[in-house]
Formats: sequence, structure tokens, C-alpha cells
Amino acid sequence: MSFFGKKGSCHETPTVSSTGAKKVALVGNPNVGKSVLFNALTGAYVTVSNYPGTSVEVSRGTTAINGEEFEIIDTPGMYSILPITEEERVAREILLTERPHLVLHVLDARNLERMLPMTLQLIEAELPVVLVVNIMDEAARMGLEIDIPLLSQRLGIPVIGAATAKKVGLPEIRAAIAGFTASTVAPFGYSRLMESDIAAISGCLKGEYILSRKSLALLLLQGDDEVAELVRDSEGDGFAQVETAVKEKRFERRESFHLDLSMERKSIVKKVLDGAFRTPQKRVVTLAERISRLTVRPATGIPLLLIVLYFGLYQFVGVFGAGTLVDFLEGKGFEEHFNPWITGLVKGNVPWPVIQELFVGEYGIITLGFRYAVGIILPIVATFFLFFSVLEDSGYFPRLALLVDRVFKTMGLTGRAVIPMVLGFGCDTMATMVTRTLETVRERVIATVLLALAIPCSAQLGVIMSLLSQSPRALLVWSLCLFGIFLLVGLLAAKVLPGDTPMFYMEIPPMRLPQFSNVLTKTYTRMQWYFMEILPLFILASVLLWLGKITNFFEKMINVMTPVMASLGLPKESAVAFIFGFFRRDYGAAGLYDLQSKGLMSPRQLTVAAVTLTLFIPCVAQFLIMKKERGWKVAIGIGLFVSTFAFGTGWVLNRFLLLTNIV
Amino acid sequence: MRCGFCGHEFAESEGNVGCKNCPMSSGCKMVKCPRCNYENPPEPALVKGIKKIFGKKDRE
Ligand SMILES: [Zn+2]
Repeated sequence: MSFFGKKGSCHETPTVSSTGAKKVALVGNPNVGKSVLFNALTGAYVTVSNYPGTSVEVSRGTTAINGEEFEIIDTPGMYSILPITEEERVAREILLTERPHLVLHVLDARNLERMLPMTLQLIEAELPVVLVVNIMDEAARMGLEIDIPLLSQRLGIPVIGAATAKKVGLPEIRAAIAGFTASTVAPFGYSRLMESDIAAISGCLKGEYILSRKSLALLLLQGDDEVAELVRDSEGDGFAQVETAVKEKRFERRESFHLDLSMERKSIVKKVLDGAFRTPQKRVVTLAERISRLTVRPATGIPLLLIVLYFGLYQFVGVFGAGTLVDFLEGKGFEEHFNPWITGLVKGNVPWPVIQELFVGEYGIITLGFRYAVGIILPIVATFFLFFSVLEDSGYFPRLALLVDRVFKTMGLTGRAVIPMVLGFGCDTMATMVTRTLETVRERVIATVLLALAIPCSAQLGVIMSLLSQSPRALLVWSLCLFGIFLLVGLLAAKVLPGDTPMFYMEIPPMRLPQFSNVLTKTYTRMQWYFMEILPLFILASVLLWLGKITNFFEKMINVMTPVMASLGLPKESAVAFIFGFFRRDYGAAGLYDLQSKGLMSPRQLTVAAVTLTLFIPCVAQFLIMKKERGWKVAIGIGLFVSTFAFGTGWVLNRFLLLTNIV
Repeated sequence: MRCGFCGHEFAESEGNVGCKNCPMSSGCKMVKCPRCNYENPPEPALVKGIKKIFGKKDRE
């Protein structure tokens, strides 16, 4: 690696791009608006390519200011010039090997104090830095006051206040790029002890470097291997002396060097900001922050969650999507118009009854598979994904994670498990895959069991909501049952499986108003994905059912299941829904929907069937994923447990409902 | 793009794409956040096309 080459110090003429343009590097933490600034500066001519030898992408573009051309480089996010991640490594290498004419450090005005230490590092490295304090508009709304000129004076570099998303500060930034002349030395220093440590190391450095000696000394003291390698190359025989000095100083500090340094940097930042950065006496709490607080406190968060669920899931997905829309599409569209028409068409043109049956029969590809997919499932998943995308875009999920963290802890999970659980309401199969992101195997197994058992997928959920919404009591029984089982099984699993619950820490992004276009895009994508996924499966299922019917296998299956159904107090026909359910959960639920619309189920039977079917074995796809993620043994174990548990619960629930007559 | 769960900003190509051996779909097109692994839907080709027509660049 051609790291900080031997030739030249930082004061030498910076390198220029192949076209002769001076280079400008944008650096800073992620999420500070670097990309927006990059776009605003470069316009249309952008190339994105992997940084040589890495998987990290770097964007480059050009801009002309006063007739002079500049190459703008958008570096990967970095938190410090002591790199930890590959992204940070690449960002630093760009600073060093490409030796930009100017380094624009972009930071978030709202987190000035947290991000300024990196500015200090860039300054003390004697890189040509201009500071861009971005997102000033939001900061102003929060009542934060930032004295830009004072900041500039104290840091000894140009500082620009900006709100790049609103194009504020762009002219100043362009002017700074065009008119920049590297000059000053850092106007701040560390404690006497720290400075003497630095001097002891930097005094030994004889080579030529791009970074300042002070900066190198600090990186060496912090144990930066890449820098050590470089210094070894540069110093040759003199490196032994450097190494000894570093060892000595590190020994004196007893490993507390990192902490000492960051404390000193923090106190410098404090001094720099003193009087230049004012928070309001009574901090203005934005509406978003206020809502955010309400969502994470149990006393307000839980009622809020229920409200969100009621309006989002029940009213929007259940009543509107699964009720109104399905009635229209399935009832009016398919039953009244499309099915009779296509049936007539097929029967008129295809002479063989068996083949007619395949397409337009009781389990026909078109009259059943296609009708279920388009008429019942599609409107439900559409409303669900719309609701889901709104929540996702608003930043509610991480708050939900925080809210449930405590409850989840008792189940051996952490708030992190909210991701798969929430995704499970979309599709359990994809959620099961996501469990692999959980930290411990124990957590993964618990989450997988819960997903297989108690989390209904979006289509199933929607159908069940609309099925049971005619009887609020039935819906209540269903929800309580599932919630109780979720908790109970989680607690039991945490007891049975050995191991500890890991810690959960998460940085929470700000809450914001969902963007309409973004929500629509996401909904559209998810629907497209879902539809592509289910349609072939529904068709396959129809074919299998058709095969089952013409070979009488299906009849036999139903006969076998009749006693089981009877023990649950269910009519014989509901066996069909369970057989459907094995192909896909939502298919089974759609089957129930069909039965209900034919008037074959009482509210009690519906409740029992809905609970049993929700708990019932995961669909084929989910089972395959479980096998893949957790192995045969665990998958079969979970499958057996879940099926037994589902029918057991159905049986108990039926007895209970018969006795109490609640529903 | 911005992760729907943790708010982390990343380029679409930076995300961990798909689960290759998934029997469901021969790899769904979801883009997983490099920080928290949440699955985000990628921007569909149709929308990208429309944005291109209107000259709107999307690098966020
Ligand atoms: Zn994320």
C-alpha cells in the first residue's frame, strides 16, 4: 500500500487529478449531509467506483468555480482519523494518498460537541481544513445558537454555517474552495504532560510525512499499526528509537492513553465552544422529539402502540383492506364477473373435464389460486405494506425496539429482536432469515420459535382481522390468546435454553414525517416482491390440490383430518383451510374467509379456527428457511412442537368457549 | 438510501443483498442495512427510470 509516501510534507503542493483539477475531499460522520453537499457541488458528472483493493465505494465528481475546475471526492463516513472500520481506513487513505487541496469537514450542528474532536484531529494533522457546520436550520429550530465567526477564530480555520439540504451556505462553500490558502497552525494544545509525551515521540521522527509529526506521534501512542508500519519504512534504522519511546510512554500511562487523550480533546472542544455555542435556557423541544419521548416510555408508549395498532392494523388493514377492498375485488370483480366469464370461456373451449377442473374447478388455478392471490391477498398486503412503510419511514421502529426491550429481556431476547418480529408481520419467512442478525444462537432459536408460532404474516393477519371483525369479542379472544402464548412460550423458551441475554444498545435516528414518494416506492417494491413470490406458489398449490382431488387423495386427507377438526368443534370443511395453510399461511386464512362467506362457521368456530390456524405449522417456505438457518433437528423440533401446540390450544380454547359462551 | 430501521445512510450497493440460498425466491431483492441488517426494499427499476427522466438524482 502506498500509504503516506515519503516524498513531501503537507505543505507541499497538493496532488491534482488526471485532468489537472485540484482535489477537494468531503469528510465527516455518516448522516451529516455529505452526499447532499456532494450532489449540490458536482451536479451530473459523477463516477462511483470501488476504492482499489476494497469493497468500499467512493464517489467523485467535478465542479467549476470561477472558471477553475475542482475534483470533489465524497469519502466514506469516518468518526476519527484513527480508523476502525474499512470505510474509515479508506477515508484516511484518500486524505493521505490523494493529498487534497482542501478537506471539507462536514458535521451536524446539532451534534457539534460530539463531532468537533475530529475537526481538532484534522487541524492538528495540519491538513488544509475548512469546517462546514451543516443542518443549521434544524439546530436553529431546536433553539441552538452557534457563533460561526467566533468558532472560526478559536479553531484557526474557516468555518461555514450551512443547511445544504436547503441550499444555504453553498455559495460560501464554493468561495472557500476557490479561495483557500493553507496557513495556520492549531491554536490549541494539550496538557503539559501530554505535550511532553508528544514531543518525546515526534522529536525522534526524522522522515518526511504528509501528516504532522504531532498527529503521527498521537497515532503511534494510540497503537495505530498502519502508521507504525509507515514510520518504520520512513525512519529505517531510527525506528527502534521511536518504538522504544512509544513503549515507554505507553507504559507510563498504563494503557489509559486513549481515555486521557479523548478527555483532553473533549475539554478543548468545551473551551472552543464556550460562548460560541448556546443551548436555550428552556430548550425548545420539537414536536418530533416530544412524540419520540412519548413512544419510548412504557406509560405512554404502550397506549400509543395500541392506538397505532388499532388504527393502522385494525381499521386500515383489517376493515378497509381486508373488508372493503376485498369485497370489491373478490366479491364484485371475481365472483360476479371474472370467474363466470373465464369459466364459460374455458368450458366452451376445452373438452376435457379434468383439464377444465385444473383451470376453473373448485381448486382451479384461475378460480382459486389466482382469485386468492389477486382478490384476497393483494389488497390486504397492499394496505399492510402501506401502513408498514409509513411507520418505517417515520422512525417508529427503533423506538418500538426500545419500548419492548424490557419485556423481551424476560424472554431471553433484546429489543433488537423487534426487527424480525415486526418483519414477521409482513412475512415470517423473510423474518426467519433476519433472525440470523441476532447476537446469540439462543436468541435466534427463541425468535424462530416465536415467529413460527405466534406471529401471523400480513396476509393472514389481514384476513383474520376481517374475519373476526364482525365479532369484536372473537377478535379480542384471538388477540389475547396470541399475545399470551407469545409471552408464555418466550418465557418458557428462555427458561429451557441455557445462556444469558445480551446487552442491547442502539442509536435512535430522529423521528420525522414520512415522505409520500418514499412510502409509495417502498410499498410498491414490497408488493411487487410479495406478489412475484406468492403467485407461483398459489398456482403450484392449486395444481397439487387439483391432483389431490382427481386422485381422491384430498378426500382421504380430509377424512383423516375430520376427527381432528371435530375435536376442535370445527366443521369437516375447515380441514381444507388447514391443508391450504400448509402451503402458505395466508392461503389457509383465505380458505377460512371463503368458508365464512359461505356461512359455514359460527363465531366460536371461527375464533377457534383462527387461533389454531395462526399458531399452526409454518408454511412450507418458512419451514425450509428454518431448516436452512437452524438445521434439520431444530426445524423439525419446532415444526412438531408448533403443530401439537396449535391443535392443543385449539382444543382447550374450544372447550373454554363452549363452557363460558364468551363468543 | 436510508435504513428504515436505524436510519443509517448507505449506498444501495453497500448493503448486503439477498440471501443467496433462500429456497423461496432464489434471492429476494431486499437490501440489508450494513449496520443493523434490517431489510430495506431497493428502489424499483420503474421508479429509477422515472427519476432519471425528471433528472432527479438520488444519492441519499
Ligand atoms: Zn439499519
